Amino acid sequence: MEDVAQKIIDILKKNMKEPPETIPMETPLSELDIESLDLAVIVFDIEDTFGIEIPYNANEEVEDFKTVGSVVDKVKELVAANG
Amino acid sequence: MSNQQTRRVVVTGTGVVSSLGIGTDKFWSAIKNHECGIEDAKTYNTEDLQIKIAGEVKDFDPKEEGLTKQFLMADRYSQFAGIAAREAVKQSGMEMPLSPEDGMRAAAIIGSGVGGINTLEDSYRGLFELKKRATHPLTLLKTIGSSGPAHISIEYGIKGPCFGVVSACSTATHSIGLVYNMIKSGMVDFGLGGAAEASLAWGTTRAWQGMRVLSPVGLYPFSKHRNGTVLAEGAGILMLEEYEHAKERGANILAEVKGFGMTADAADMVNPDIDGTAGAMDLALKDADLSPSDIDYINAHGTATVVNDINETRSIKRVFGNSAKDTPISSTKSMHGHALGAGGGIEAVACLKAMEDNYLPATVGFDEPGDECDLDYIPNEGRSSEVNYTMSNSFAFGGLNAVLVFGPSPA
Repeated sequence: MEDVAQKIIDILKKNMKEPPETIPMETPLSELDIESLDLAVIVFDIEDTFGIEIPYNANEEVEDFKTVGSVVDKVKELVAANG
Repeated sequence: MSNQQTRRVVVTGTGVVSSLGIGTDKFWSAIKNHECGIEDAKTYNTEDLQIKIAGEVKDFDPKEEGLTKQFLMADRYSQFAGIAAREAVKQSGMEMPLSPEDGMRAAAIIGSGVGGINTLEDSYRGLFELKKRATHPLTLLKTIGSSGPAHISIEYGIKGPCFGVVSACSTATHSIGLVYNMIKSGMVDFGLGGAAEASLAWGTTRAWQGMRVLSPVGLYPFSKHRNGTVLAEGAGILMLEEYEHAKERGANILAEVKGFGMTADAADMVNPDIDGTAGAMDLALKDADLSPSDIDYINAHGTATVVNDINETRSIKRVFGNSAKDTPISSTKSMHGHALGAGGGIEAVACLKAMEDNYLPATVGFDEPGDECDLDYIPNEGRSSEVNYTMSNSFAFGGLNAVLVFGPSPA
């Protein structure tokens, strides 16, 4: 499952104008150089990569989207649920 | 024809198709009853969708509506446009179809955010999924976003300016504003302005879901528990007329179009910019030669997304200053849903009825004020109150803003 984290970091970097070298798991999403529309594209990219559906709503602040690590955990959970 | 400088523009007819009912009377009585037209969607399969609710036009049967053959062959969006236009024409009392001479002095500016997208979705399903060898021969004519105004021009003999406007959620307001300016400038003497939208479908809901701005539960503008907008469909169309023209034929004048303002943010596709939204309100007031304190009611864009409602509140505060707190504001979208391109047309009718009835429509589903939402949003209960001047706001994706101001009939 560790490559889940790497794949998500790759997706984040791909959607950032000037991605940092490393993105630690505890980084809050709000500190990354991404805007709301970028986030919609990132979520789509993650869904497409892992074949899952993430019930993300840009109007709500949820724990699952606080940090990079929490996104990774959520994706792992959804991938596992998918069997 | 009166002098260009003094030409005033009045409303002599309204037409509505909405999730609250077909026809202005049904629509308005539902608004006064605080009804909500948002329900589980029935016209498309929502099984694998995250968003299962919408403001659909209920039990719509174009044959039962008595539409003429050309409209029966058209896309649902054009049918909505046809029904709303027919109501506005009927109420205006204008003799239709027009003589060729009168037809040249008339306009039909009927927009749509996406035109006949349902027809396109069905035809693509046929081609890609069902491997059909061809699409229905009328696919193209049904799909184009100018089919609504074209059918209307054919129906009534409107031979002057006739086309569709596209500006997403500001479409109807831009369309009405254009007809107003065409009449004011002397280009035409009267015309239909507004928009229709019928984009509720499986594919378009998927596309909207991807934007992550839809609420799975309801549309609660300016409210703490708001969590996105809810898509709807329908049409809102006005018959606008030069004042002397209306007076001469003894028309029943409903109101005057006092002002129109439009701006573009030139900033971001989704995040609104206060300079653009406030700027459009400012321009509309200037055009109307009114002060903010003259406005008795604002029909807000009020989509119930976090960003719109905060930006709109800030914009109203910037433009209205001290009178912002005393100006009643509501988003009737809380009842009829977000009819996208048609929204501004339906909401213009809400403003006109508010003036006719001296009644302020509510924002329903309001729990408590959202962060930074601290104005009078007429929560949950409409109010009887003198309403002389109203403002209708439309702010679209892409930062395209349009605002109308209505006032009482001249003299």
